[in-house]
Amino acid sequence: MQRIKKFFRYDNIGILFVLPALLYMLIFVGYPIVSNFILSFQDVTVKTINAAVKPFIGISNYTKLLQDSVLQHSVWNTLLFTVLSLLLQFSLGFLLALFFTKKFSFSKPIRGLLMMPWMIPVTITALMFKFMFSSNVGIINQVLQSLQIIAQPVDWLTSPGTAMFALIFTNIWIGIPFNMILLSSGLTLIPKELYESAAIDGANKVQTFFKITIPLLKPTIQSVLILGFVYTFKVFDLVYVMTNGGPVNSTHLLSTYSYKLSFSLFKYSQGATAANILFVILFCVSLVYMKLVYSDEEA
Amino acid sequence: MDLDNKLRGRKNVLMCIVSILIMGILLFPLYWILVTSLKTEQEIFQIPPTLFPTVFNTKSYVAQLGNGDFNMFHSFGNSFLISVSCMLISVILSVPASYGLGRYRFFGKKVTTLSFLVTQMLPVSVLLTPMFIMFNKMHLINSPLSAILSDATIGIPFSILILKNYFASIPKELEEASYIDGCTRFSSFRKIMVPIAFPGVVVCAIFSFLYAWGDLAYGMTFIQDQEKRPITAGIFNFMGQYGTKWSYLTAFAVVTIIPVALIFIFMQKYIISGLTSGAVKG
Repeated sequence: MQRIKKFFRYDNIGILFVLPALLYMLIFVGYPIVSNFILSFQDVTVKTINAAVKPFIGISNYTKLLQDSVLQHSVWNTLLFTVLSLLLQFSLGFLLALFFTKKFSFSKPIRGLLMMPWMIPVTITALMFKFMFSSNVGIINQVLQSLQIIAQPVDWLTSPGTAMFALIFTNIWIGIPFNMILLSSGLTLIPKELYESAAIDGANKVQTFFKITIPLLKPTIQSVLILGFVYTFKVFDLVYVMTNGGPVNSTHLLSTYSYKLSFSLFKYSQGATAANILFVILFCVSLVYMKLVYSDEEA
Repeated sequence: MDLDNKLRGRKNVLMCIVSILIMGILLFPLYWILVTSLKTEQEIFQIPPTLFPTVFNTKSYVAQLGNGDFNMFHSFGNSFLISVSCMLISVILSVPASYGLGRYRFFGKKVTTLSFLVTQMLPVSVLLTPMFIMFNKMHLINSPLSAILSDATIGIPFSILILKNYFASIPKELEEASYIDGCTRFSSFRKIMVPIAFPGVVVCAIFSFLYAWGDLAYGMTFIQDQEKRPITAGIFNFMGQYGTKWSYLTAFAVVTIIPVALIFIFMQKYIISGLTSGAVKG
């Protein structure tokens, strides 16, 4: 008893405060991660879900899935979706952030309002854009037709050639505010004296942008890009609601395909395997991010 | 770049006009569903579309009060119950945890912090299947508890990472003074630290609520009974059944956005601070 008391006398008392949350996360996140891993080496379907002993089949889930053309296509889709979304939402967000650092009467309130797209439930965003992209009542077709850019209504979400781009477009809309607000707060941290002295030295706007703004914003840019990558790579709701992987499996991401395997086809082990492939990729990216944060905290 | 100079006169007016245009384009989808939800079904299909409803039609909302195909207000209640409970769990667990992580150095602190950071990056797909099997064993499928327990796993790590910085920034002297006045560690935490970090606690509560409110994956997977589903899952179901009844669908969407919009209007300051401190400082 004495020893326990002594152990918790100083800093170790912190453990007691952390313990409840840690236990909760171990039960509801730690355990599932481990069991997802185990599941991917078993053959669990709707028949064996409640069985006491589940058949162990080694890595055959992985070999089977990696040859599956839908999975291969979903890996490609996930990459395409992530890279295009990230590029465009980052550049548009950056432009907006630069625009709103100028101090005009509406800069703060309007920048605040632009956060809305990021706040609303993704299911609703998906519904909204499904409506706007729909071929007969969609406003997008109507506008494009009246501007005579297209002659016939386009079936945006129901033809394999365009569905992916409609999804990416929607995801960019969600991501812009996130990029904008983080880059904005990074911009305010740059001391304004630097700009003043650069102006005295005769630097023009392009020079100050590349020699001062970009280098000083680098930590913010790094974390925005990495976080953006992680958040985009694991998108699920948006695609699930807008196309559910269709038409003919052409828009499946790793996340939605994994869901389909588990909860439409009831091949739980294969679903877990697809999710694990997603997890491994994300984990590697998170390691890079943690390294950045870690070195920040040391400094 | 003149970062600190307030713009005046003509330039100011010009920038204001440009910013209103930007807002008009970016927020148009929100305007569009609000307007659509107030139109009649024929007007929605009218070409060219009307920018403003010619007749105000509130039928899409009123129809849901009775026993329609899908009782929106019932699902709204389900979502509310789930989100509030999730918010409570996540605040109760993460406030002490972030105090512990923010103010003490103990063995394993770094690993714990990093593992909370990793869970924030986890895709739902990794957890869905094993959680489903787990809740199935615990007989929690179709119970709101399954959604509450799983939604809280999103709120907790986020809250901890934000609040940790709040607690770390409180001066040590305050705490020491409270010990001299006879506080124990626990009473000082309760009476001194939590009240000072209160704005941070509000941020965490808001985000935990919003994460749970916006969740679709957990709610629809663990709760299959339409009566008990949260509103996002209910809407998804309705879309599958009546995919083109846009007047109803947009009305559902507007109702789902209302709490978010209210929180947003009254707590904007907290939301922006939460987003920036949570993401950049980690």
